[in-house]
Amino acid sequence: MVKELEEVVDVPVVHVCTVVPISVTVGANRIDPAVAIPHPLGNPQLNQDEEFALRTSIVEKALKALSTDISEQTVF
Amino acid sequence: MQLELGNILVKDIQFGDKTEFKNGIVYVNKQELMDNIKDDRLAKIEVDIVRPGDDVRICPVKDVLEPRVKVEGGGQVFPGIFGNAEMVGSGKTNVLKGMTVLTVGKIVGFQEGIIDMSGPGAEYTPFSQTINLVILCDKVEGLPQHEHEEAVRLAGLKATRYISEIAKNVTPDETFTFETKPLTEQLSQYPDLPKVAYVYMLQTQGLMHDTYLYGTDVKKILPTFLYPTEVMDGAVISGNCVSACDKNTTYHHLNNPVIADLFARHGKDLNFIGVVVTNENVTLLDKERSSNFTAKLVDSLKVDGVIISEEGFGNPDADLIMNCKKIEALGIKTVLVTDEYAGRDGASQSLADANLLANAVISGGNANAIIELPPMSRVIGYIEASEIIAGGFDGALKKDGSITVEIQAITGATNELGFNRMGALEF
Repeated sequence: MVKELEEVVDVPVVHVCTVVPISVTVGANRIDPAVAIPHPLGNPQLNQDEEFALRTSIVEKALKALSTDISEQTVF
Repeated sequence: MQLELGNILVKDIQFGDKTEFKNGIVYVNKQELMDNIKDDRLAKIEVDIVRPGDDVRICPVKDVLEPRVKVEGGGQVFPGIFGNAEMVGSGKTNVLKGMTVLTVGKIVGFQEGIIDMSGPGAEYTPFSQTINLVILCDKVEGLPQHEHEEAVRLAGLKATRYISEIAKNVTPDETFTFETKPLTEQLSQYPDLPKVAYVYMLQTQGLMHDTYLYGTDVKKILPTFLYPTEVMDGAVISGNCVSACDKNTTYHHLNNPVIADLFARHGKDLNFIGVVVTNENVTLLDKERSSNFTAKLVDSLKVDGVIISEEGFGNPDADLIMNCKKIEALGIKTVLVTDEYAGRDGASQSLADANLLANAVISGGNANAIIELPPMSRVIGYIEASEIIAGGFDGALKKDGSITVEIQAITGATNELGFNRMGALEF
């Protein structure tokens, strides 16, 4: 889907993904590393405020990646 | 470490007044068995016997086990569950060969499997060829999922242990001896033969995806070294049946064909050094750490080649490729054993990850292939689960009782230890 959106719709896409090597193998261009496979954007070991801050940081990183010009596959 | 496995060939299982082995037949006192496995968390336990060719479908299957009992040597079979995790793998162990203990019951998640004892589905599972003592367990209302899974897992282990006791004083029909010497001696035993180790990847991703080593949760271990015979004594136990086609039941672990085949060639054309067990965890850091430790252990063994078996698919493909790349980087050859999720037409990319160094790969088949399973006159368990288990889908179950599923739903269909009849050839 990441590649399809970029190629067909022609918009930049960020892949928020736990297992970065798979994201690289499938050809995503902008990669934002996530937490864990069962909870990519959260961490049940943190309290609510800490988890919210974690989630915000991942989303903000994704937004930064979207607005960054790249010339090769990039892990942010 | 030397182990003698004594196979006692089982011709049939029957219910009787006394649990005993007589004239090739395992007699089971049903009430005594149920008393041995009762658990406050289980509201219902039923016991059945099914045989090859029976017009029976079993669903949803959790685990399949084989009764084994220590006759000589330390520890107990399934160490860490029974006894004080005393080391196993030496002495003598008797096996009730030809039968299994098979657990079934209401669905825990959406991951359990299907076993058909006859018809086209029977071709895809090894457990259509065994006489199965089927233990159906249902939980009490309101029991959390993790407790439900554990209660059924322990019921299977306790039932298997109870049955295995009758094998202790029986003279086996056939015996096989396996030996691995302490590392330094083993490395120098056959100086002219290539040294080969086995990297045994175990699924460890949470509920219904867990594996236990000497009773400990494998997601918490760092990769470690085992004598192969430890595995034959139940050091590795399944808590894992998600997408049942390529998950190792406890029976698969006990009868691991990679270990069996390496032993068959040990001292002939290779020197089988031992087993490195590792996990498949859910964070990238865990995957990197475990594959780093696996490569370091393999390096310290000074072997020439490694066979790596995967358990599962998807993100574990990343663990598989990391193990491959990091071991190949040491100048050690690898062969990977996996299966494929190449879509129903087989045209899609087979694994989620890939690398040019993965240039020797054995496939257990395409788990997405579709099969029609005709109705059976009897179902043990809950066939409605076929609509939600992995490999099933809404509308899979027809009114006449037939089901259409991906072979992903059939226990053991594309097993990645090679314990199946399917494979793939590239032309």
